[in-house]
Amino acid sequence: MENTNLSISQIFDNKIHRLGRVTMTIGTLLLLSVPFIISIVWDIFPPMNKVLSGVLSLSVIMIPMGVAEIFTYAPIIGSGGTYLGFLTGNLSNLKVPAAAMALEIAEIDPASNDAEIFSILAVSTSAIVSALIIFLGVLLMVPLTPLLSSPSLTPAFSNVLPALFGALGAYWIMRNWKITVTPLVFTIIIYMIADVPTSAMIPLNALLSGLAARVLYKKGKLS
Amino acid sequence: MENYLTIANSRLLFILAAVIFIFILSQSVVFFIIAWREGKKRGISSSLMLKAVKSSGIISIIPSIPIVIALIAMAPVLGIPFPWIRLSVLGSAPYELMAAGMGAEIMGIEGLGGVGYTAEVFSSSVWIMTLGAISAPILIILFLKKISGRYRKVKEKDSTWMTALIMAAYMGLLSVFIGKPIASGGIGLATLASAAIIMLICSFLVKKFKISWLKDFALSISMIGAMALAIVFAGIL
Repeated sequence: MENTNLSISQIFDNKIHRLGRVTMTIGTLLLLSVPFIISIVWDIFPPMNKVLSGVLSLSVIMIPMGVAEIFTYAPIIGSGGTYLGFLTGNLSNLKVPAAAMALEIAEIDPASNDAEIFSILAVSTSAIVSALIIFLGVLLMVPLTPLLSSPSLTPAFSNVLPALFGALGAYWIMRNWKITVTPLVFTIIIYMIADVPTSAMIPLNALLSGLAARVLYKKGKLS
Repeated sequence: MENYLTIANSRLLFILAAVIFIFILSQSVVFFIIAWREGKKRGISSSLMLKAVKSSGIISIIPSIPIVIALIAMAPVLGIPFPWIRLSVLGSAPYELMAAGMGAEIMGIEGLGGVGYTAEVFSSSVWIMTLGAISAPILIILFLKKISGRYRKVKEKDSTWMTALIMAAYMGLLSVFIGKPIASGGIGLATLASAAIIMLICSFLVKKFKISWLKDFALSISMIGAMALAIVFAGIL
């Protein structure tokens, strides 16, 4: 393909990268404005050397994790989904499953050019829904607090993740059991030995899963 | 010095939070419209796109509830607007709590809301939570285009392998959250298993009796059912 003759999907991609970069920059600046405004308006500047040393020790974890997460999530949710999803957060429990399910329901191959469109639709919808729910939480915080923190309901809310991934697992493992064996067995063994943070475990496991899939693919076991 | 909570819950911070909330909504709406138009241009039917939208909307409701719970947990210490901002942008509850605690610790305070949690400590928590989290968006602004270009090459070379690779990465992610409760057992494992069983029953009913509406709600039903059972398990185990 000639460089001067960009395909439709490449033109769309470029558009998305432009929009993504602009909106992500605005979002990051808005976020940065919060500490500045607090410090300037109320004249409370914390000792910056201490803040920086705190940020540094966080960044030692956050930067490599960020890189690993981008490599893991970008192919699953596409570029547009990555811009939207990383700015709003909650990728593993909301945006990624929403995008994967949207592609599945619409019967779109995740490696096809149209997948980008469906992941953007899915991730933006998911971001809007959860932003509205958080907003409702802010509005209704007083009446909601006793309900959401009631001891009898605590087991339900502290098990949202097992409930979500039990249901997702049943759905997806039936379809992809061959590529799931290695990462699942690996995870179970690791968590029997040590309590690794999930944010570190996800990219590691995705990489292992990719390598295992490569072996299966080469052997012609994946059709 | 005035109580830091009057700052943390001040009108100014609420306005800032509202601005950020509106920005997040508008960003999503703009992306949505652009993707929708592109889909129409490529001849994808509205009903197919609507199906995807409906599915992701429904799937997102219940997993958003823990975010509200984290908000409620953080509000007494950090006020309402700042946790609202942080949980809406780049947010994940465990990170926020860790970073906020670190903000307190560097000021020599035991932790969040400990004795001596002053306005200065609050401001230090806010600084650290913000600066600590912005590495990912900066990396994305700078490098995502290059990274997606590399994935595009893989895709163009062998699209079947790319499909397998994407599914492998996704199953790797799912495996973490499936394997963890399996390894630790207890209520988590019982809830995981219940959700899986309810999901399988729903799938069976969808196939056997062609109940198409159930397909849209199967995930939510499985989650709510398993969460209700978690309360029962907590009483037994």
